[in-house]
Amino acid sequence: MSILLEISENVQKGAMKAVKELVNKAVADGVSPNEILNDGLIAGMNIIGEKFKTNEVYVPEVLVAARAMNAGVQIIKPLLTDENAQAKGKVCIGTVQGDMHDIGKNLVKMMMEGKGLEVVDLGTDVAPEAFVQAAVENGCRVICCSALLTTTMDVMEKVVEAAKKAGVREQVKIMVGGAPVTEEFRLAIGADCYAADAASAADAAVMLCECE
Amino acid sequence: MTERERFIKALKREPIEGHCPTFELVFYLTLEAIGKIHPSQQRFDQWSQMSRTEQDLHIAYMADSYIEIAEKYHHSAIFVHPNPGDFENTLRLLACIREKTGDKYFLMMHGDCTFEIPNGENMFAFSERMYDDEEGLKKEAQRRLEDKLRYAEKMAKHAGLLDGFALCSDYCFNVNPFFSPAMFETFITPYLSALCKGYRDTGFYTIKHTDGNIMPILDQMVQCRPDALHSLDPQGGVDLAAVKKMYGDRVALCGNVNCGLLQTGTEEEVVADVRRCLHDGMDGWGFVFCTSNCAYTGLPLERYELMNKIWWEEGIYG
Repeated sequence: MSILLEISENVQKGAMKAVKELVNKAVADGVSPNEILNDGLIAGMNIIGEKFKTNEVYVPEVLVAARAMNAGVQIIKPLLTDENAQAKGKVCIGTVQGDMHDIGKNLVKMMMEGKGLEVVDLGTDVAPEAFVQAAVENGCRVICCSALLTTTMDVMEKVVEAAKKAGVREQVKIMVGGAPVTEEFRLAIGADCYAADAASAADAAVMLCECE
Repeated sequence: MTERERFIKALKREPIEGHCPTFELVFYLTLEAIGKIHPSQQRFDQWSQMSRTEQDLHIAYMADSYIEIAEKYHHSAIFVHPNPGDFENTLRLLACIREKTGDKYFLMMHGDCTFEIPNGENMFAFSERMYDDEEGLKKEAQRRLEDKLRYAEKMAKHAGLLDGFALCSDYCFNVNPFFSPAMFETFITPYLSALCKGYRDTGFYTIKHTDGNIMPILDQMVQCRPDALHSLDPQGGVDLAAVKKMYGDRVALCGNVNCGLLQTGTEEEVVADVRRCLHDGMDGWGFVFCTSNCAYTGLPLERYELMNKIWWEEGIYG
């Protein structure tokens, strides 16, 4: 088995200690940091993301896999060239105004970081204008809005309106998600993308960033 | 037969006549419904400074709000959220409700000890502990269990006040449980099982609540022997008829009215969903009609009243 495959498999198992040892060995053996990152660490995380989408693995398994991946990333980070270290894109994420639930939002953030995106976390109870302001100030391509409550999901429409009002609607894509949110709702409020789960949200965000 | 007796019969899956029992875990809409502030929305910063008379007035106000809601919507059970929540004041509130209503209602309180989905801030740390500190987490689960059972023993000495405990640790998201079935078996099942047994041995009924898709862990939950399962969340894909078919001979079922539809569906959708729920749940015995969560802040009262009206007109055995 190649060392990259071993790294990938240990990321999937959440075996942080083994991932650290294998990444150190790979570096010592002269494997390029870029390969370690993409074909070992992120490859393992991508498999976990796919399994999460199909309900084959559960949230804690995803979290410890992310922990293992990040432990490996920390080792190779100083070795990556600027070009390799560059994020695939930048997004901002938050739970909409009036809603304090952050479990789903944090999970999406983690999956997005696992995909190599830079994520600006705005926290919970985020006003529509604050989403737009953060996107403009940080140069984010995507605004991701989360809501758990049926009573707060309507704020997402105000985020779309705020982006129009600020004159940046064409520059940013707006993604929505959360327990009560559906594709029909996304269409009704004029957002660009609905994601049913954290892994799909991360895939969609990468796609939206690459479309830039 | 009192509402309390009817509720207990439903928990025991025994035949009853008349209406299928109903209740809510929480009915937050008290101000709109009866003009009283819900006990959980009240703050008593100077409780210990109050005279006993003033405290009694507050307790009577809270008791009245619970009772008036139960009477208005024909609930069989009251879920009491004591405020303040210390033991002495809890007893005073329970006693006050009993003084005013006798044994008319089944009274329950929170009583879960099992781990629930951690909040966003603690989720990572909790997940790490499941991998790195299994024994430590098990010890914590055992400590929590023992605390609850000690409380139940204390409460049991005040016979006739409390009937049961609602176990409200949430385990599931809409898509899946937080805990994998293997994790559930390690960190939840032994303690949930011991908790249900302990409560049963001290004379209390148990209603196990969780939102979301319970199907991957449902068998384990039933094996823990709660008297009833609550929520049966259709937004988590839980099919009441299917659960009834699989486990209806082992556990009573409560809930399943779709809160998403109550909030945003059309009136026709709500009516159809309530009728579906009554049809599937009342097939056989052992069913308590209610929302798949609670009458939460922000739910349109008229929607709850529509649901309650259909139940009143159609939720009748025989």
